[in-house]
Amino acid sequence: MKRAEYKIPGGKLLSAELAVEGERMVGVKITGDFFMHPETSIIELEKALEGTPAADLEGTVNGFFRENDVTLFGIHVEDFVKVVKMALES
Amino acid sequence: MKETWRLIDMRIEDAPTQMAIDEAIAMARLKENTPNTVRLYRWSPSAVSIGYFQSIEKEVNLPACEEHGVDVIRRITGGGAVYHDYNGEITYSLVAPEADPKMPADILASYELICGAIANGLAQLGVDAEFKPVNDIVAGGKKISGNAQTRRHGVVLQHGTVLVDTDIRRMFQVLRVSDAKISDKLIKAVEDRVTNLRRYLGRQVGFDEARAALIKGFEDTFDIALQPGELTAAENRLVKQLHEKYSSREWVFQR
Repeated sequence: MKRAEYKIPGGKLLSAELAVEGERMVGVKITGDFFMHPETSIIELEKALEGTPAADLEGTVNGFFRENDVTLFGIHVEDFVKVVKMALES
Repeated sequence: MKETWRLIDMRIEDAPTQMAIDEAIAMARLKENTPNTVRLYRWSPSAVSIGYFQSIEKEVNLPACEEHGVDVIRRITGGGAVYHDYNGEITYSLVAPEADPKMPADILASYELICGAIANGLAQLGVDAEFKPVNDIVAGGKKISGNAQTRRHGVVLQHGTVLVDTDIRRMFQVLRVSDAKISDKLIKAVEDRVTNLRRYLGRQVGFDEARAALIKGFEDTFDIALQPGELTAAENRLVKQLHEKYSSREWVFQR
């Protein structure tokens, strides 16, 4: 299991946990004290990443936020990319 | 004639009931045409609430909670873990439509306004407090209140904590604090970052005194009169349904 924790400068703490099978990310879980409306979008984001090649991380996250009406507060789209990348590199 | 909002005043309930009431009020606000509402409340037994996105294992020392009879609950709102000390904390919640003329559409601006109401209330007690983005209120540079907002069903629901005389030692028994947030000398570090009314003012502040100040803070900030009221029958039905969700292992342990 790969894990990483990232403190966004001036605020929120973000964690990611995942495993890699071949090239693909599995069991992706993102936790933290940030804000995201609607809250259940996090489950959809994790689903979108499930089975995705690690190389497609950034495109998948950006695509998710482009296609879904999600409001972030205390966090930005690139923070999700960053913490998952940190976990991949751990 | 001032606009009147409903005040649900100082109900003392367990964690699932408190969270069910907040969500029920938000659900009913537009559907059942219920009034804008401010609640002040206390948790019995004392409880830890964690943000929607938090890992329960990572944030909460579950054996310590069990040992000390402290409830654990997951909120519908994001944000961090809070120790709701029955003897040392007041929680507030506010529900108003997103389209209410008094409610800014911008999320940060609405935090600033609602946190400003808490700060104005604290000013009544002699506390010089101010909103600190993202979602805190600080006094003398130390956190005295944490706040969390969600928007759903066309309404803003914000709830938050006002630290009156929190047992910091117990707080650190039941919460796990991330190494990335606070390093060594745990309690000392917390005392440097977190304060409460007793410590800031150097005197005991009773719940009645704090309650009255917070009510005045909301009334002045929103230019309203808070009228004590009760939950409607429809809201009580929702509370009953939602209580089941909030008590379930499936909800509390979902991440």
